[in-house]
Amino acid sequence: MNSGEPIIQIKDVHKHFGRVHALRGVSLDVRKGEVVVIIGPSGSGKSTLLRCINRLEEYDAGNIVVDGISLDNAKNINIVRQEIGMVFQSFNLFAHLTVLKNLVLTQRVVRKRSNEESERIALELLNKVGIPDKAEAFPIQLSGGQQQRVAIARALAMNPKIMLFDEPTSALDPEMIKEVLDVMLDLAKEGMTMVVVSHEMGFARAAADRMILVDEGQIVEEAVPDKFFASTNERTKLFLSKVLHM
Amino acid sequence: MAEQPEPSSNGSKLLRTLGVESTMRIDPWWGLVVLVIILIVVLCVVSADPFWNMLRFVSDGILITVIITVSSFVLVLVLGLFGGLGRLSQNRFIYALATVYVEIVRGIPLLVQLIWWYYAFPAVIKEVGNSLGIQVLADYQANPIAMAIVGMTVCYGAYMSEIYRAGIQSIPRGQMEAARSLGMTRFQAMRHIILPQAIRVVLPPVGNEFIALLKDSSLVSVVAVTDLTRRGREYMSTHFNPIETWTMVALVYLVMTLLSARGVAWIEKRSKFER
Ligand SMILES: Nc1ncnc2c1ncn2[C@@H]1O[C@H](COP(=O)(O)OP(=O)(O)O)[C@@H](O)[C@H]1O
Ligand SMILES: [Mg+2]
Repeated sequence: MNSGEPIIQIKDVHKHFGRVHALRGVSLDVRKGEVVVIIGPSGSGKSTLLRCINRLEEYDAGNIVVDGISLDNAKNINIVRQEIGMVFQSFNLFAHLTVLKNLVLTQRVVRKRSNEESERIALELLNKVGIPDKAEAFPIQLSGGQQQRVAIARALAMNPKIMLFDEPTSALDPEMIKEVLDVMLDLAKEGMTMVVVSHEMGFARAAADRMILVDEGQIVEEAVPDKFFASTNERTKLFLSKVLHM
Repeated sequence: MAEQPEPSSNGSKLLRTLGVESTMRIDPWWGLVVLVIILIVVLCVVSADPFWNMLRFVSDGILITVIITVSSFVLVLVLGLFGGLGRLSQNRFIYALATVYVEIVRGIPLLVQLIWWYYAFPAVIKEVGNSLGIQVLADYQANPIAMAIVGMTVCYGAYMSEIYRAGIQSIPRGQMEAARSLGMTRFQAMRHIILPQAIRVVLPPVGNEFIALLKDSSLVSVVAVTDLTRRGREYMSTHFNPIETWTMVALVYLVMTLLSARGVAWIEKRSKFER
């Protein structure tokens, strides 16, 4: 159903942390508008893979091309990063700024938008993620679910072409998970390109075009959700049995 | 029953029993400041000679002490920022430079540093001027106050670097990562995200540095600066009344440090509410 050209091309990427070989030759193409859900055991390299895509981590070997720009020789990584929104497990809202200013500051500093325009976009997005009334609150005054929705809005304010999610709901209380997943589902429906590390299998079933199991720094299996959940691969079956019983 | 006692409960309790709802909070430490000032005033009134005379004699020294303290401190804030950022730099050369600076300065007593800047540094400049035939340098005359400010700044800048460094490091890594992931440069992230948060963290230790600098500024009396301490010594050597002189000098320093402490507390309190 997605026939667009790849917007992310990852080719045989390796990453070491000292003696830890975190990524062992990962190759993956993500097409425009595609939603890829990555699962895998803790420490398998999911975060590292995601963080290589916007070069929060630099890979040692291989190559990544994002929207036609090779990260090997990206002269200005900040240009690439402007096109990639990232949502973290721990929200990482700017603690000293109100919700509104969290959304406005980066637009002004990075996108050079006027204050009025930035605020208008910010308020629109806060409305979209369902918390228009919290614009003047500080992050610490919000619940985890609200903070994560603000973080998504903050990333969207930059008009990214790609959104990366690193376990966006795993720091949340169960009753708040849905409100965040709903926002992500909407995004997926709108055609956003998304790479999501998450063990929320309900979300994966509803939104994923493709699912990927990563283990020990390698892609073990890659399939559309229906096939993935019916996989005969032993490691996939074993891991799915764990996350489906969570 | 479970009433929380307020810090200044005496005053507010009295007001409350009088039916006055107080929104004003009086910091009990102000009492100490007032007490010391009253003590000075009483001494001057009761026995104008020597106390009042002495106070007038050293008043220009008080001004010098304030000038040296304030100007050094402003420079220290700037130098410390560069030092602190240097200590966190990914550039090895800058990191090494900042580290060497901090380690050298912290290993030498402040008094020795002040003496070095006043006696040795000008001599070095003159030597250089002579050997290179540059007359301006050969004729160089050290200004005691300028050299004192340089000495205090260089020394306290090293300690301030470490305070800034610790403050910046105390900000969770995720803040920098979020800023970078949104496309900010390292510099923009520092300026807009990390430093504003770090400043709040370092405010108390920075305030302490100001008070420490104020007290240590008395050391400049050794290098020809006519600050409060030196003027005190001059007064004593002509009037031979060590008890009165040094008591008064001590009280004046005390007023200045207590006032500074109140100022620091006030700034800290404000920065907590106003974000
Ligand atoms: N900054 C780092 N320094 C050292 N080791 C790291 C660092 N980040 C990740 N690792 C290691 O790399 C491996 C993969 O980590 P990560 O990508 O975070 O796994 P996951 O997100 O799948 O749990 C782990 O062994 C982890 O300990
Ligand atoms: Mg992870």
